[in-house]
Amino acid sequence: MRKIIVMCLIGMAVAACTSIDCPVNNTVRTYYALMKADGTPDTLKKDTMWVWTQRIDGTDTVISRQIQGNLELNCFFGSSASTFDLPISYTQPEDVLCVLLRNSVGKNYIDTIRIKKDDIPHFESVDCQASYFHTITDVSVTHHVVDSIVINNPHVNYDQNTTHFKLYLKANR
Amino acid sequence: MTKIPHISSSISRLTVSLLLLVMGMGSTQAQVTKMFTMEKDSIPLFCGFSVSFDLVGPAMLMLSDHGEYEGALRVNLHDQWFPIFEMGLGRANHENDEVTGLTYKTTAPYFRLGMDWNILRKKHQPNRMYAGFRYAFTTYNVDIIRENLPDPIWQTASGFGVEGMSCNMHWLEAVLGIDAKVFGPLHLGWTVRYKRRLFHNDGTLGTTWYVPGFGTNDKDQLAANFNVIIDI
Repeated sequence: MRKIIVMCLIGMAVAACTSIDCPVNNTVRTYYALMKADGTPDTLKKDTMWVWTQRIDGTDTVISRQIQGNLELNCFFGSSASTFDLPISYTQPEDVLCVLLRNSVGKNYIDTIRIKKDDIPHFESVDCQASYFHTITDVSVTHHVVDSIVINNPHVNYDQNTTHFKLYLKANR
Repeated sequence: MTKIPHISSSISRLTVSLLLLVMGMGSTQAQVTKMFTMEKDSIPLFCGFSVSFDLVGPAMLMLSDHGEYEGALRVNLHDQWFPIFEMGLGRANHENDEVTGLTYKTTAPYFRLGMDWNILRKKHQPNRMYAGFRYAFTTYNVDIIRENLPDPIWQTASGFGVEGMSCNMHWLEAVLGIDAKVFGPLHLGWTVRYKRRLFHNDGTLGTTWYVPGFGTNDKDQLAANFNVIIDI
């Protein structure tokens, strides 16, 4: 009988435990890869690039960290960085991103990227922040310094090990 | 001159030998049967019904934002096998979470069908210890709402969620329980359950949180019931 009581107490103790199982990677962002025309990874070299967008209240906001084309600054695990990530809006049907690229001699190029998407509400638990996943349906660019942009993976979610867009910059910038 | 035995005498000798052998075997079998004859069990196969209701689920409903009302009908077969049908109403009403602002509501029935075995050596006594299993399922509608979810970058606010999203789940349970007679037809007992999810449809939002009868949604779950049992 004592064994039974002990088993019941252990069972009750285990059953009484609660845990919060929110995903560790719970940010929804888009991941870009700079590419050369021949399909190999590209870098900004000595160029600098800013990306910004316009908020609903009309104020411009820089939404990306400044991407320095310096190999040492963008170096992860001994290899040069040629990728960056940007946020994506929760429910806007189209995100408009402005890209400013300043080359090594100080010349500026501005491009506008337009991303159309479907928004999918995503729920994990009442303890985890609500979020939106997205399916990218279309992307376009103004082609001043960006030669082209291609959708590589249209599904935007918690996955941080993917590339949603391949960005081809003009070689003679 | 050698005497050749008559064929009829050989046949009669063989017949007598076989008869003796068969008679001998018959008496041996009778002796063996007599040695191993079991006494007839005086307990009938059908020993009645019992109904029970759980007290843990209502206590959880009183103390938290989710829980169950649950009852069961159990058949007693020879104090050894106990086919059981359980039915309950699961409920969650988590309103406007203080951190995430989420509201989660559902109310739905659930059903379980299974069998318990009395695993005590002495079956025919008032106290019992069970091991058993259940197959369970539920179909439920859920409301998940987050009003004015703010976009941290674009600073827009959007209404998030769905109402009446249809979901379902099927699962198996391994059960270990004890049951002690208090007085008359009244018994009290505990069951500890390991629940394993089989199939599930969590709707269109990714996953659900509370599933009636199962608890918080995961691939497995542990739970305990405290039952008041009345023999009929």
